[in-house]
Amino acid sequence: MSKQAIQWLYHELPRLVAQGLLTPEADAKLRAHYGPIEPARPARLAVIIFGVLGALLIGAGIMLVLAHNWEDLSRPVRAVLSFLPLVLAQGLAAWTMFNRPQSLAWREGAGALLFLMIGASISLVAQTYNISGDLPRFLLTWALLGLPVVYLLDAVVPALLYLWGITEWACHLRWEDGFAAGYWPLAALLLPLLALWLRAGRYRVRPTLLLWALCVSVTVAAGVTIERVLPGLWIMLYAGLFALMFLIGEFWYGAAEGFWARPLRHFGAAGVLVLAFLFTFEWPWKEIGWNYWYGGRFHHPAWRAIPDAVLGSLIPIAAIVLLGMTVRRKTPLGLLFGLAPILAILGYALASLTDTYAPSAGLFDLYLLVAGLWLLVSGIRINKQGQMNVGLLAITALLVARFFDSDLDFLLRGLLFIALGIAFLVANIVMLRRKGANHEQA
Amino acid sequence: MNKRNLILLGFALVVAAQLAVPAWMIMEREWTLRDGQVFKFKTRPIDPVDAFRGRYVWLGLEPGVVKMRDVNAWHYDQKAFAVLGTDTNEFATVERLEHKAPAGQAAVPVHVGWTDTKKGEVHINWTGLDRFYMTEQKAPAAEIAYREHNRRTNQTCHVTVCVRGTHAVIEDLFMDGRPIHAWLKAHPGDK
Repeated sequence: MSKQAIQWLYHELPRLVAQGLLTPEADAKLRAHYGPIEPARPARLAVIIFGVLGALLIGAGIMLVLAHNWEDLSRPVRAVLSFLPLVLAQGLAAWTMFNRPQSLAWREGAGALLFLMIGASISLVAQTYNISGDLPRFLLTWALLGLPVVYLLDAVVPALLYLWGITEWACHLRWEDGFAAGYWPLAALLLPLLALWLRAGRYRVRPTLLLWALCVSVTVAAGVTIERVLPGLWIMLYAGLFALMFLIGEFWYGAAEGFWARPLRHFGAAGVLVLAFLFTFEWPWKEIGWNYWYGGRFHHPAWRAIPDAVLGSLIPIAAIVLLGMTVRRKTPLGLLFGLAPILAILGYALASLTDTYAPSAGLFDLYLLVAGLWLLVSGIRINKQGQMNVGLLAITALLVARFFDSDLDFLLRGLLFIALGIAFLVANIVMLRRKGANHEQA
Repeated sequence: MNKRNLILLGFALVVAAQLAVPAWMIMEREWTLRDGQVFKFKTRPIDPVDAFRGRYVWLGLEPGVVKMRDVNAWHYDQKAFAVLGTDTNEFATVERLEHKAPAGQAAVPVHVGWTDTKKGEVHINWTGLDRFYMTEQKAPAAEIAYREHNRRTNQTCHVTVCVRGTHAVIEDLFMDGRPIHAWLKAHPGDK
């Protein structure tokens, strides 16, 4: 159970005991079961944040100073200088590992600094010898040399920097028409660390932070690591990916509270809704499927399309398997968001077999409307203002997009906007009043 | 081996690897600068910025075009080896392009730009030799000075490159026959 939930429980217990709903023994047993709540230590958190910020600023500063390019210095001097920041950062990391292994602030700060100094050192050598810009190679070397820092210092900031490095590497490689599927094994190198952190505490800050970063990184990588030989494959891939994120979040991180504590659930849900909105237009469905196979124009070896087949099938299948488990658990939101890959496959089949686009777009018009209404109504029923507003936003986006598609005059469009604005205001005022009333009753 | 020693060993290996990469980069280039054959390339400096490595001038090395019989054997962005020679003015020329590194000859890796089948020409990009790092004041000054002087006096700018096998390192950039830093000092008003 999350810390917030236990706090809430401990807050409720005296009242429940006073009302006779719980015996004092049960109260004691519950407290023994969940244990004491660690008090939040804002001072410690501030030290960590400022330690990391300081390290990042010093690191960025050293890189900028080096980028200034001291041309008056001789080559041997510059060669020695290029090692200096790296050696100092290594020394600091070693000192931290053996003298302050328990201090998160030291570990995160030293880890961040060392990671940046690896890049600074390679950059200065490149500058001294006028080495040209093979940016992907530079990024990959930097990331791989920095990865052990993540494990040795057990720190999240170097892990985030590593993730940024390999994502950037994949994007640049793709830009240069290279084969970027190596991203996946590289990203998997972070999984043992994530597993360790999750085992120590699923709802702690560090695994949550890494999961947010992974959501963003994987979303970018899914697009840049496929070769796009099968037009429209992204439709099924992304629908599967976002649904999978949501369902994993719903299944294994259900007890977390608050927006930031549930990265997979919220990133996945936002992804499904944005994607569903895009799919209500006709452009994603145009010229997709086997009839438009890029094979002839694909001047790379055929094996380069393997990631397309693997990712394009595995991710939607995994999402659908989890959906099957959701049906048994009877969680309506899981069902709602988990349906996205099935509808995407259906839409894809319709568009590619018939070469008509309206039915697939219409399917998602209907889906987004149902999803929006569901979120709106269920949000009102369980008093969740955020969920209600997301529902309203989905319906608004859909209505606005369809009204701009059609040839309605400005008066009607204007009236629609006014009506939507009033709906937003009324719903939120009603919700706030209801929350206020509940608060007073309590 | 206890856990502390194991971590120490791991850390030592990581430190060694992190130091080895820049150390190898330095050694490889020093070796080429010491033992390589020097070629002079006509060039044209342009001034962009690199977020990681600071200010540099972009060098457009010449020749940018190679006459080839088998133009159709080359396609866009293909890697090639430009086998180097020298003309009567001692400037570098490209004798031919090769798909694989030729043994015993100075050949620089390049990328094929576009091909002109009518003229039998292959356009090449000197992707490995296109940067010369300078300070943030001098890089734009070098570009402007080149542009101005080229218009007035039609003088050339050239770069010396050391080549050892297929490994090439830029040695220096010259304006009017003098190293660019010395030339800019001598012409402070030409910015």
